[in-house]
Amino acid sequence: MKIAIPVYGEYVSNVFDFAHKLLLVDVENGKETNRSEIVLESKFLPQRAVQLKNLGADVLVCGAISQELANMVLSSGIIVFPFITGNVENVLNSYLAGQMVKSEFRMPGYRSGAPRGLGRQRRCCRWQGGRY
Amino acid sequence: MENTEQNVILQSISEGVFTVDLDWRITSFNRGAEEITGIRQQDAIGKYCRDVLRADICESGCTLAETMRTGKPIMNKAVQIIDAKGKRKAIAISTALFKDSRGKVIGGVETFRDTSAIEQLRKEIAGRYSCEDIISQSHIMQNLFTILPNIAESNTTTLIEGESGTGKELFARAIHNLSFRKDKPFVVVNCGALPDTLLESELFGYKAGAFTDAKKDKPGRFALAEGGTIFLDEIGDISVSVQVKLLRVLQDKTYDLVGGISPMRADVRIITATNKKLDELVKEGKFREDLYYRINVMKLELPPLRDRKEDIPILVEHFIARFNRLHNKNICCVTNEVTAALLSYDYPGNIRELENIIEHCFVLCEGEIIEVKHLPSSVCPVLKNEIAQNSEPATIKQVEIALIQQALKRNKGNKTTAAKQLGIDKSTLYRKMKALDISKPES
Repeated sequence: MKIAIPVYGEYVSNVFDFAHKLLLVDVENGKETNRSEIVLESKFLPQRAVQLKNLGADVLVCGAISQELANMVLSSGIIVFPFITGNVENVLNSYLAGQMVKSEFRMPGYRSGAPRGLGRQRRCCRWQGGRY
Repeated sequence: MENTEQNVILQSISEGVFTVDLDWRITSFNRGAEEITGIRQQDAIGKYCRDVLRADICESGCTLAETMRTGKPIMNKAVQIIDAKGKRKAIAISTALFKDSRGKVIGGVETFRDTSAIEQLRKEIAGRYSCEDIISQSHIMQNLFTILPNIAESNTTTLIEGESGTGKELFARAIHNLSFRKDKPFVVVNCGALPDTLLESELFGYKAGAFTDAKKDKPGRFALAEGGTIFLDEIGDISVSVQVKLLRVLQDKTYDLVGGISPMRADVRIITATNKKLDELVKEGKFREDLYYRINVMKLELPPLRDRKEDIPILVEHFIARFNRLHNKNICCVTNEVTAALLSYDYPGNIRELENIIEHCFVLCEGEIIEVKHLPSSVCPVLKNEIAQNSEPATIKQVEIALIQQALKRNKGNKTTAAKQLGIDKSTLYRKMKALDISKPES
């Protein structure tokens, strides 16, 4: 499984739409096996979503994300953990430990529930974030 | 002034205001800031400002950091943010140092106002839409998005085919904005809207005295687009004589001004579009074969809206937000019946028609929810005939049955395609068919 995290220095980038770098982490049996960092060159949203898909990401752990980009990423079949903030290593460890929902990593303004306008299938299986 | 008086003033203004300490943590957050960001004061206080404001400059050039470094205030910088609902907003921010009573710097203060409506109106007036305005989550469109950057970088002549209202100009702009020519002009010419003689002088320009009333030199659209991109819409409508001249531009990168004596060089990328099948026009002898092959180096075929119905809900949401700004209304959504009717309709005018339907609803809707009665009569019969035959209101179950049956019928029983059009997973479609006792239509 491949986890993608937009990063800024040692922190999770605050907005995926505007992020410049992406950390890709390969995980097998709950353990990190490989990691790489790539530059996100285009701010063109469809291209950003397609790039994520082409990189083989299965999971996106990110900060804020616009509805438009979230819809595009979700329709690629990628699981999204949005509105996450904090130190990248702490966030990654928390994800690997299955504790991604810990409130200390949630951005201010986060509300539990599902994003408006997304289908039931996504609500329970794909969107792991809060209500828009 | 007392602190309480300052607070009253801060809470009463519509501009957003927040202050940060020297560690970039928010120390005060007024009501205007709550409204613009969608984040409550109690959630914002003590948090890093970048997690609250979520702006495009937080990582690439924070204005507050610059003010803290230089001591100089910054006024009205245009910035984009993502609010708590995931909506992109345009804001204008100003920054200043925050000092205590002894003049010691204790942090920074940022004030900002929402300029989304102004930006939207500016866009409406100028007719300037960008690639960010392309909205889609359909698989067909995603395939196009994959190749779009490569096309943009290639600098080759591109042909965009698609029915009227499918967004050909938006794609042309996207190609321009993604290319190295993005800082140069993007010039649009609707070839179908100009008579033959006028089109030639419009495209290539003319010299003074070339014809009656040509009192001074006039640059053509090719000259105006120098270094950038020219978008020739409705290319299938141009006459054979203009076709010959265009062929020369494509072959030699030169053209002649009407009445001119020496050829002009053209460093312009040409993107053409048509709602006709050019290959058929070539067979009929109405379009030059050599020109067709010149403009058809790269081809983008835009799907009609009826083939990407999964995009209808997000497009409706987009148009509601847009018309709310334009008409100063506060409409929030559409009813399930309206969604069903919109999904059942075939949209011969494509996205432009959907946009017009929503605008029609905005004129008639006085409340906050668009209902079936607000829809134009061209859309209503689909629902009336197939779902709500009696005066009984349609239930969600009835609507689901009708939609699934229509999708299956449209796709000749192909469940994979039907599921894609409905925007649901194939397994969900199977489950719903079983639960609602829907059988596959006979082919």
